[in-house]
Amino acid sequence: MNNAVVAAASESGKKVRLRKRSADHPGVDIPGMVLLLPAALLLLALFVLPVGYAFYLGFTDITLIGPTAVHFHFTGIKNVLRLGRDTLFWKSLWLTAVFLAGSVVGVTVVGMALAVLMQRSAAWLRAGVGAVSIVAWMLPPITVAVVWYAFTTTDGALSLVTPGDGDSLNHFPMLVVTLANVWATAGFSMLILSSGLRAVPSEVIEAAVMEGAPRWRIFTSVTLPIMRPTIVTNILLVTLLSLANFALIYIMTAGGSDNSTDILPVYSYQQGFVFKKLGYGALLGDVVVIIATVFAYLYVRVARQRPVRTRLADGV
Amino acid sequence: MHPVGTPRMPRPYVKIASLLGTALLAASMLPASGLAADKTIVTVAYSPTYVFDTNDLAAKWWASVKDQFDTQYPNAEMKLVPIEGNYDDIVNKLSLLYRSPATTPDVVQIPTPVVAQWVASNYLLPLDSYVANTDWYKDFPQVIRDEGTFDGKVYAVSSGENDSMLYYNKDMFKKAGLPVPWNPQNWDDILSAARQIHAKVPDVVPMWLMAGTTAGSVGIEMGAGNLLYGSSDPTIYDEATQKWVVDSVGLRETLGFYHSIYSEGLGAKLSDLFSPTPHTVPVTDIIPNQKVAIVLGSNFYGGQWGKVVCAPCWDKATEVEGVAPIPHVKGQAPNVATTVAGWDYAVAAVTPHPKEAFDAVNVLSNRRNSIDIANWAGFVPGSSKFANDPELIDFGPPVNELASKIIQYGRILPPLPDFEVWSKGLQQATGTMAQHPETSVDDAIGILKDYVTNQLGDDKVETK
Repeated sequence: MNNAVVAAASESGKKVRLRKRSADHPGVDIPGMVLLLPAALLLLALFVLPVGYAFYLGFTDITLIGPTAVHFHFTGIKNVLRLGRDTLFWKSLWLTAVFLAGSVVGVTVVGMALAVLMQRSAAWLRAGVGAVSIVAWMLPPITVAVVWYAFTTTDGALSLVTPGDGDSLNHFPMLVVTLANVWATAGFSMLILSSGLRAVPSEVIEAAVMEGAPRWRIFTSVTLPIMRPTIVTNILLVTLLSLANFALIYIMTAGGSDNSTDILPVYSYQQGFVFKKLGYGALLGDVVVIIATVFAYLYVRVARQRPVRTRLADGV
Repeated sequence: MHPVGTPRMPRPYVKIASLLGTALLAASMLPASGLAADKTIVTVAYSPTYVFDTNDLAAKWWASVKDQFDTQYPNAEMKLVPIEGNYDDIVNKLSLLYRSPATTPDVVQIPTPVVAQWVASNYLLPLDSYVANTDWYKDFPQVIRDEGTFDGKVYAVSSGENDSMLYYNKDMFKKAGLPVPWNPQNWDDILSAARQIHAKVPDVVPMWLMAGTTAGSVGIEMGAGNLLYGSSDPTIYDEATQKWVVDSVGLRETLGFYHSIYSEGLGAKLSDLFSPTPHTVPVTDIIPNQKVAIVLGSNFYGGQWGKVVCAPCWDKATEVEGVAPIPHVKGQAPNVATTVAGWDYAVAAVTPHPKEAFDAVNVLSNRRNSIDIANWAGFVPGSSKFANDPELIDFGPPVNELASKIIQYGRILPPLPDFEVWSKGLQQATGTMAQHPETSVDDAIGILKDYVTNQLGDDKVETK
């Protein structure tokens, strides 16, 4: 019998709760839980508690130095009210959205272009471009920042072909830091999208070719729709990577000039470690955690979807 | 089953080996300073990479201080605790160390603008009874004593100070038909000289004037703060109302000077002004490479071009580069304006051995060490006796002599936590003027006002 019905009576015996046990809804697996316990404790100690404490700090008046550095107090929603009034926070939120959108579009387009190039080009070109892109992705943010700083300021290589003083970084800071992020992350995107391209069934493409569809139409109407889950995964991962890329912007512009690259992680750092207002800085950090959690949740949902091949085989 | 090829150790040897292993493990867990168990360890936190002109000189100076202390006090030992990073990193790391008595260093070298915040946290030990018995503290000028004195108690003593002055290139001045030596009497004299350079020596930057946010408050200390302190109203924080001044005659005069420099094309290029370390651009690049005529800069440049520091070496420095005090806006007496900020030594309130900790401060502050750190880090020593010592004056002529002479006229920046907010507002205002030369003084005042009001609230700002 697959479905065992377990009845448990309450103390009074008046209410009866029925619990179903089946392959889809297993009951409590004691040995499994015991084996998972060390991992769960580690997760609790190293992730849940620190993040929870950071959320708590966001509702206090803790400072890095001064009378409330050690003897700080819970201040209720005072910091949240300040967040609502803080025009720089709203500007920062908008700049974060611009940076993420620019990065995601740029990285995905460049990553896809590289992936297609990798699939169709000669082996030596494939190897060369692939290697360079991956090296760029593996570089530490400090190196990327220094390379792009040197490239985009006066006397840098870009200044030779740009008008005026050639100081692109200071005239178009958001554009330049976004391009630097695209440059550094495109290799990662290329790896993901290449595997997605390889998963597109050749028989579907062949059928489209036999129908006489032009190459561009095949790409937009056949390849891209089949790759949709891979592209969505790529977008979510690039969003998370970019949101965490505090170092690149901090080193290149420190949020300037005129706050025009002051994305939330940078603004949070500034409040906590320049203005020493750790409580308010923690609250800004909490907002970053919430944004990251939303994207992480979406990523997990997409990752759990069934693979394309399986769905195609099912005729879905 | 025993693996093939690996000889099995006979049982008695296994026991002996395990006993030896246990003994070794136990021995390794004994305190590392077991031989020095009777010695009092005095921990001293310092910056190995930021304060001195070069890292090698920092290592040399601190090793020498440790040797002197360990020799002079055989029952104690100095343990150096290096704090890496730039200004903000050092303050942040020290702030975190001080949160727990277990990690608090006995003695610390901290920037003067943050001493008040350490005092407010009850982190520092009053040193009045200790400094009274030294032969150097009595020679500290009042402005330098005030930096470390709060509520009438001495909490910190200077390890060296920075002030500011005007540097000018004598060759360029002669080429432009300007007088050498140059001694501007008011701000118009500076602007006229910059304009004349612009007209007659077109390939050079007429004037370096710090602007923007990348240097943090160091940019105010070595830039706009000096002009504000030479203006008609230098108030930054109004003690009477406990509010931050965001609009005043002094601020308008200061930003008016910025407007003249940047709207007339007399300033430096943005990539230098907004570089990650703009305060080092004049000393390492544009002065020794003779790309700039006038620099409003810090005294720390003085000894940097000589043979000892040599960062970079410039043997024609004294021949080519002249210095002059920054005048007041209209030449008001004493007609010397400068900010003063430096680094202090302080002792932790929780130190279990305050006497030995102050002994360390005493060694750090002796003549030899005070003059060496001043020369190698570009300071004016706290004690006026050391500040006029020929070993210091001759190390970076003519800068060191002028720096020691003008320090008495200097003013410190408000040692309050929210100064960083006000400072950031002014940095943004000057940065915008440098980047967008059409920015008016009203617009710049608006930037400062909006920034500080948004961060601190309407009730914390005022117009004078």
